[in-house]
Amino acid sequence: MSNLAQLTSEGLLPLESPPDGGGSGGQDFLHYLLRKLAAAVISFVMLLVIGFIIFSLMPSDPVAALTRGRPTSAKQLAFLTRQLGLNQPIWERFAHFVGHTLTGNFGYSWQFDTPVSTLILQRLWPTILLMGSSTIVSIVVGMWLGIRSGWRPGRLLDRVSTGSSITLWSVPTFWLGIILLVLFSVGFGPIPALFPAGGMSTPGTVGGLTPDHILDVLRHLVLPCITLVLVVFAQYQLIMRSSMLDEMGNPYLLTARAKGLRDSEVRRKHAVPNALLPSVTIIFLQVGGIISGAITVETVYSWPGLGYLTFQALKIPDLPLLEGTFIIFSASVIVFNLLADLAYRYLDPRVRRA
Amino acid sequence: MTTVSQAPAATTAPPRFEGLRRFSRQFAASPTAMAGLVILLAITVLALVAPLFIPQTALEVVNATGRSLAPPSAHFPLGTDQAGRSVLTLLIWGTRPSLAIGVIATGFTMIIGTAIGLIAGHYPGATGRLLMMVTDWFIALPGLPLAIALAAVLGQGDSSITIAIAVTSWPGTARLIRAQTLAVEARPYIERAKALGARDTQLVIRQVLPNVAPFVLVSATLTVAGAILSETTLTFLGLGNPTDVSWGSMINQAFNQGAVSDGAWWYLLPPGIAIVIVVMGFMLVGRAVENILNPRLTSPS
Amino acid sequence: MTTQPNGTGRPDNTLQPGALQPYVPRPAESGDADGTPLLEVRDLAVTYRSGADDVRAVRGVNFTLRAGQTLGVAGESGCGKTTVALSLLRLLPVSARLSGQILFRGEDVIGLGWQKLRAVRWAQASVVFQGAMSALNPVQTIGDQIREPILLHEQVTRREADLRTAELLDSVGVAARRQASYPHELSGGQRQRVMIAMALACRPDLIIADEPTTALDVIVQAQILSLLTGLVADRGISMLVISHDLSVLGETCDRLAIMYGGRLVELGPSRQVLAEPEHPYTAILSRAFPRLGDPTSRLAPAGLAGEPPDLRGEMPGCPFAPRCPEVMPECRTHDIELWPAGPQRESACIKVLGDDAGQRPAETRAGESGAAQGVGTPLGLSRPRAEMSAAEGAEASSGLVPPQGGSSAEPPVLEARALRVVFPGRRGRRPARAVDNVNLAIGRGEIVALIGESGCGKSTLARALVGLVEPADGEVRYEGAALGYSGPALRSHRRHVQLVLQDPAAALNPRQTVFDAVAEGPRVHGLRAGLNERVYTALTRAGLRPPEQFMSRYPHELSGGQQQRVVIAGALALDPSVLVADEPVSSLDASVRGEILKLILSLRNEYSVASLIVSHDLGVAWNIADSVAVMYLGRIVEAGPVAEVLLRPRHPYTQALLSVLPDAHTGEPAPVLAGEPPDPTAIPSGCRFHPRCPRLAALPPGDARAELCRSAPVPVLPAMPAVRSAAAVTADAAAGSIAACHLELPHPLLTGPGQPSSQGAS
Repeated sequence: MSNLAQLTSEGLLPLESPPDGGGSGGQDFLHYLLRKLAAAVISFVMLLVIGFIIFSLMPSDPVAALTRGRPTSAKQLAFLTRQLGLNQPIWERFAHFVGHTLTGNFGYSWQFDTPVSTLILQRLWPTILLMGSSTIVSIVVGMWLGIRSGWRPGRLLDRVSTGSSITLWSVPTFWLGIILLVLFSVGFGPIPALFPAGGMSTPGTVGGLTPDHILDVLRHLVLPCITLVLVVFAQYQLIMRSSMLDEMGNPYLLTARAKGLRDSEVRRKHAVPNALLPSVTIIFLQVGGIISGAITVETVYSWPGLGYLTFQALKIPDLPLLEGTFIIFSASVIVFNLLADLAYRYLDPRVRRA
Repeated sequence: MTTVSQAPAATTAPPRFEGLRRFSRQFAASPTAMAGLVILLAITVLALVAPLFIPQTALEVVNATGRSLAPPSAHFPLGTDQAGRSVLTLLIWGTRPSLAIGVIATGFTMIIGTAIGLIAGHYPGATGRLLMMVTDWFIALPGLPLAIALAAVLGQGDSSITIAIAVTSWPGTARLIRAQTLAVEARPYIERAKALGARDTQLVIRQVLPNVAPFVLVSATLTVAGAILSETTLTFLGLGNPTDVSWGSMINQAFNQGAVSDGAWWYLLPPGIAIVIVVMGFMLVGRAVENILNPRLTSPS
Repeated sequence: MTTQPNGTGRPDNTLQPGALQPYVPRPAESGDADGTPLLEVRDLAVTYRSGADDVRAVRGVNFTLRAGQTLGVAGESGCGKTTVALSLLRLLPVSARLSGQILFRGEDVIGLGWQKLRAVRWAQASVVFQGAMSALNPVQTIGDQIREPILLHEQVTRREADLRTAELLDSVGVAARRQASYPHELSGGQRQRVMIAMALACRPDLIIADEPTTALDVIVQAQILSLLTGLVADRGISMLVISHDLSVLGETCDRLAIMYGGRLVELGPSRQVLAEPEHPYTAILSRAFPRLGDPTSRLAPAGLAGEPPDLRGEMPGCPFAPRCPEVMPECRTHDIELWPAGPQRESACIKVLGDDAGQRPAETRAGESGAAQGVGTPLGLSRPRAEMSAAEGAEASSGLVPPQGGSSAEPPVLEARALRVVFPGRRGRRPARAVDNVNLAIGRGEIVALIGESGCGKSTLARALVGLVEPADGEVRYEGAALGYSGPALRSHRRHVQLVLQDPAAALNPRQTVFDAVAEGPRVHGLRAGLNERVYTALTRAGLRPPEQFMSRYPHELSGGQQQRVVIAGALALDPSVLVADEPVSSLDASVRGEILKLILSLRNEYSVASLIVSHDLGVAWNIADSVAVMYLGRIVEAGPVAEVLLRPRHPYTQALLSVLPDAHTGEPAPVLAGEPPDPTAIPSGCRFHPRCPRLAALPPGDARAELCRSAPVPVLPAMPAVRSAAAVTADAAAGSIAACHLELPHPLLTGPGQPSSQGAS
């Protein structure tokens, strides 16, 4: 029976949808939103399960794992055992875990002796600043190059930009960061030390929204941002180029040419809007990749964000802190996936008015 | 009728492996693809023969013969590290763990990803939807934080890095293979085979798999590239086997032990360049195979 | 419009074949009677650069188009007709090299600068592309897309452009409020209407229509064609129509050009070219679209053996010589060009040059089957070879008696009884009743044609008969036994009933050789003993001779016709009793179509293989079927012997299908149906055809029967008893047809639903 054709009613109906007045967009959108929200919630629940498995079940002796190879006092051992609740049944531990996670209570960081949530809040803004600035620059540069490369494949611009994208994709982020650090911060040969070596601001200066401080932060931002852009824009370039190539053979472009539009108008008005649709989704989904880049870049430049915090937690290893950052990173990916779905629906009339 | 078996010899029909031959011809015609292939062959040979001319003892800190962080010289073509070991020796030896972990992790990725992709594509009903839900949950997990968490919990070492990489990279493969399986399953020749009475296993093995296999190959090449990058990143972050010499651990030590402030470029540059070359080798080969399978990407219209 | 007295009019519809009345002087003779022609193409050649070998797609094409005239260019795929069309506005890909002259109002388009070229595009010559779904931008509203060229080429305000867009949509029969719709929200016919509105947007002098109605259903096709020709004639626009379908062009165009191998082989007034082809290729093409009621094409499909020419490199002599049934030795050496062949006619055949026209061919191709000799004969009646063809047709018919002509009491070999297939609705859609209570029987050795528009459920019915779709209700019977839906039962069913699919290129696994593709069935059923012989025999029977030459080839190395033969061989390898063929020839070129139909016919004649041919094309039924069933919205609305149903249709839907054919011989004139193909998720109450029924619409107001049509369900037709093919040729009229229509006279078979009477066939 299983080899009966998996025909659906869509396979049978004439390809064109029956003519109707466009449908009731509002209610459809609510359904769509609810469906996507539900999917996001399920993803989050699964994230909790995976987090619980990794941080509570997998360490055969979490206390030993926490203190591996380091002298640990009896007081610390007792504290850890109590904190991890190892003597409780598994469901109770999971319930505790979920409850704590949902209230933002990830426990105390072992090395900072501060609530994990406090640490995360402190380090959130630097990460958003770094990731946001580099993502915007990457999208602008990557999409522009991708559009141009895909429109005229095989030309010089395509070969140069695609070649450098492939090369930059192959470069380990942390190593690129170190090289830029040596070149422009330590100074190498004739190149003077142009930018500060690490951190987010010069130690000892006053914070706040003074022009001096903002300029100082920007100076610190330049190198980490460039490093991240160099690695991330390559992905956007390749995605956008491939989307453009997918559109190239489409007859509606021939229609546009036949109408007498200039080549650039055909590209701008017809090819790009269509090529953007698949790209936007993929670009939103790249946020996981940017997070990975941010962890290594922040580590290299000691940028006081969540990535550097993860690295600091890793060295101990400080499991409550690792767990906190893991949950935050993963939750943000789920949120961006949701945004991707909504953006796609907004951009594509075929989905919008289906 | 008995002439049937001898028939091919008498006719002008193309030989059996015509497809493979055409593929090789197209592959050989692409300079970048050949460059990638040469890189991969050279690096693989180097990794395999390294123990023949580099004794294990040359890697131990106590046996170091040079100065700390000495620039390149006749004796040490790439200079020395902070312990006085030859960077060239470390570099050659470092090929081994990077390649090994990349390839093994990719093997796991391919097995899990292809199996799940094929099953989800062939049974697009409840089974397929469930499998894809699980896949999507894993895709929603950011790769490096998950790998860090896993490696941190499992402890330092090659096996935990391998597992961490496999766990984070199989969902992509599963999605690709599922999409390809769905595309193949929608082709009329599958319906024809069904109408001839083929069972599910016959369908998947005789019709679907041969058409999906090339995409598994492409995915594998690109996954190795990604896996090597992940391996070096995790090792750089200190999650690798602390006693082993790999490219990631070399950069880690260079970074943590003063090579940056001393401007010891001979210690910093070679492992990074080695990573770029190997990763690009896999990338170039993978993209070339992809372009041959999907000619739209190459032919300028 | 022009000074030409007849230049604006369409050809005289009463023109009789053979009456060669000049209505437009040829350019060579008329010269400067009315100045320069609108479009003059001189020695146009197009070469595509691809790798080592250049493809010379167009090799010296000359024609002239005057203002207000319409010219059709016909030919099979790969003949260069679309390349010619696109080259007129230089829309070819960059790999194409053009030479020659394209004089548009005396100005050479090939030499035009980009700026000037863009000004010509759309403002003076616009295009109606095929497949409006992909030719319209999916993310722009249709209003924006129609407005775009207006705003681009003319100094108008947005308001004026809006007004004109609304007018244009109105003129093509699309409500102006649909401006804000996206292409996917329109039906296929509406999208093509939007394409036409767009083409008219800048009031061009020339419209280039590239396969304007391909992929549309026959009735929608007729609507679009009449709309297009009407609008163009009203506005005095010239038109160049490209099509593979001669009947489309014959209806639409004043003059017709036939292309083969990148050249024009014949040019002349449409009716004359169709009625009295000068070139053998034209004759074959026009025979490939049979005229219903023409006895020479009944049970004798016309095809053309051989492969299309290779467009790489030189082609000495006549490109058609290798396939020409009337080839002479000089054909292979003489350079061929269009020569005058009577007033207004030109033909690129050496016959027209001298007295040797009436001579018998010096060399006749030995065809694979006897019918191959008849393929070159035209439909016309005034030539000696036409008689030859008629004689051969009769001869062929008399040989069509199946070896074992079963009596009508014998149970059908494959049968659907009260079959229903329902697809569950998804995403808020209602369930689709694709097949809704159908009775259908296929007798041993009988060929049944199942005809209907897309979405009528004919393909689903075919798949249900093969056991690929499980019915919701009713049963499929093979040799009287109901089909069970367990794995083993299905597998044994699938040994006897084989499916042949529409697109042979897609139906073959690209990674399997011909041998593996044919051996697939026997292997699946564990028939490993004598596998080689089985494959060898199957390939031979499917006409791939000698089989050794094909066994190790891959599908992409074969032509479309050969691929379809491989698919059929794969079915024959299991020695089936029935072939269920879903549109077996609709993706094939006209000349190949006949070859495949001949094969299906010969399988019945020689091996008694019955067939169900699913098609949208009534010509297929006329060509090979014994009986025909017409399906509408999940039901069979009319069934009976071919000659009966096609020549004396009783159901208004059948009449509508027939009325759109160019040479329809229907008793009463039925208007082209309005509306779109119906939706199986929303089946109307009463007679399911009533919302579109012209007969209901013609009833006087207050007629009591109208209420019957609207609310009373029509009785379900019983399965027709098998038509014996011997009778099908000679005594069709004796067997009646049955139609599911309230307004039809009660038929003896319809005395009670589901109670078939045995009188029908005798």
